[in-house]
Amino acid sequence: MTSMIDVRDLTKVYNGEPVVDGVSFTVKKGEIFGILGPNGAGKTTTLEMLEGLRTIDDGSATIDGIDVASNPRRIRSLIGVQPQTPSFEEKTKLTELINFFAATYGKTVNAREFLADVQLLEKANSYPEQLSGGQRQRFSIAAALVHSPKVFFLDEPTTGLDPQARRNLWELIKEVRDRGVSVVMTTHYMDEAEILCDRIAVMDGGKIVALDTPKRLIAALLKKGFKKPQQVQQANLEDVFIDLTGKELRE
Amino acid sequence: MQKVKQALLPVFVFATIDIRRLFRDKIAIFFTFLFPLIFLFIFGGIFGQDSSVSFNVALIDQADSQFSQQFTEQLKKGGVLEVDSTLRTISDAATAMERSQIDAIIVLPPSFGESQAATNYPSGEVRLQYSKNNQQAGQALSSILESHLDSLNKSVVGTQPQPFTVSIEPTGKPGLSSLDYLFPGLVGFTILGLGLFGPTSVFPRLKQRGVLRRYHTTTLQVWQFVLGNVLSNSAAALLAVAVMITVAITVPLFDVSIQGNILLLALFVVLGAVVIFGIGLSIGGWAKNENQAAPLSNLVSFPMMFLSGTFFPRFLMPEWLQNVSSFLPLTPFIDGVRMIMVEGRGLLDVMPQFGMLAVWGIIIYALAFRVFRWE
Repeated sequence: MTSMIDVRDLTKVYNGEPVVDGVSFTVKKGEIFGILGPNGAGKTTTLEMLEGLRTIDDGSATIDGIDVASNPRRIRSLIGVQPQTPSFEEKTKLTELINFFAATYGKTVNAREFLADVQLLEKANSYPEQLSGGQRQRFSIAAALVHSPKVFFLDEPTTGLDPQARRNLWELIKEVRDRGVSVVMTTHYMDEAEILCDRIAVMDGGKIVALDTPKRLIAALLKKGFKKPQQVQQANLEDVFIDLTGKELRE
Repeated sequence: MQKVKQALLPVFVFATIDIRRLFRDKIAIFFTFLFPLIFLFIFGGIFGQDSSVSFNVALIDQADSQFSQQFTEQLKKGGVLEVDSTLRTISDAATAMERSQIDAIIVLPPSFGESQAATNYPSGEVRLQYSKNNQQAGQALSSILESHLDSLNKSVVGTQPQPFTVSIEPTGKPGLSSLDYLFPGLVGFTILGLGLFGPTSVFPRLKQRGVLRRYHTTTLQVWQFVLGNVLSNSAAALLAVAVMITVAITVPLFDVSIQGNILLLALFVVLGAVVIFGIGLSIGGWAKNENQAAPLSNLVSFPMMFLSGTFFPRFLMPEWLQNVSSFLPLTPFIDGVRMIMVEGRGLLDVMPQFGMLAVWGIIIYALAFRVFRWE
């Protein structure tokens, strides 16, 4: 597989303090790449530099071979962005918003098709402020994909969603990957990273402290002799919750 | 050509959506279309019927003779006095005056119109009582009564013509009320309100919610976003002014008329709306939040609101202030609307106003693009 994103020694400095401190990684075509880390680790800033929203203070980043710092406009046509809290102009029908986002890339699309992809067809004439949290996240994904981007950035996409909505969103993100799109996402949920991400970079203090597949990261820890104090159960409380309430979306 | 079309696509899509949004938002509809009408009704109510000034008076006829009744009828015919016939005694009338229900009391004493022993013609004295708080009405009424008595004196005594006379000629074009002169100011006020208060509150709010930042992750360019907003806002402004003018023309109370070319007027209104919107756009585009935008928008709008001739005609100002205020961007707009609408001037006559607005437009939009921020 060829690499879609290539990041070398990426650095961002705020008031003399490096927030992102010489980060390097590559993201392959059609993989889900997770960036994990506690608050303030530099996850969002890293994403924002790749999205062209923040200037790159040092180092370099290319997407599909194009330098991010010197071609921000070309980069924007290649990427789709899902912000941490998607927010849209009010009193605007979902179809109108999809049409507008497509127009920003100079495209006209069939908005209803994109809404159908994220199971929001029956909400076509609703306004975004009338959607539930999960629906809004799904709509935001549809809006971010109107121009068939090669890379899709998601910043903590499932924060604040109920378990059903989270699972639904995971499926959606996997579908996007299976279309050959490289997905880069941040998250605070380890279960989410384990289930969803093909590879994971763990950040702390602006640096990447580990980078591998979830399985190999766990194996490496076990190899060091790590043992959980309690007995491993075959199910956890979330399994109980899903068993009791089902996987069906509630909105 | 294909490229131009592609570049203008987001502009038109945004503008159409933005106009639809306006009509879905009850508060926006109120401030765009009804708020200016409220001002029109307030000012129209004050200035609309200036030709029919009248005073409410009580008329106490103590003489109750044929002569006094004839005099009373004549006073009523003048049309200036609204006689409240329910007030029959001086004390009732005095109470009514204390409550400001009437402006003055006219008393015809018992001896009014009786012939004096030494002469063979009737004479008498009309007593006018008015509140000290209402000197103006008192003075106006006394001169009205004097003129009535003057003609009465002439008819009774039959003196030869007076050597010195004053002839009174009412001037001013027929059919123009003082609201005609005030109306362009109201149009200016509407354009100012729409152009400034909209974007200075909407853009900072969209920034705080991250909506504009999301737009910034697409290939949308600042000029496309700005042009889309300019289109929808000038369309809304034109519509608001059209509603205002339609109401002002059709409601008899206002009796406003358009003397000049209506297309020229529309063109001028659009240009003014675009320029004034640019000011709001500069502020809203620059400000990160409403706390930055609100004071700045007040600072910019207040001088124009009071000095550009919205509510007070500029010719009432001291000369130096007239000179200063003529350079405010709203001034050429209001002047131009007045010239086209009220004075019926053509394109060539308003070229200076067009030119000044255009210069302001260039300055303002150069600034707007320079300071615009997506977040």
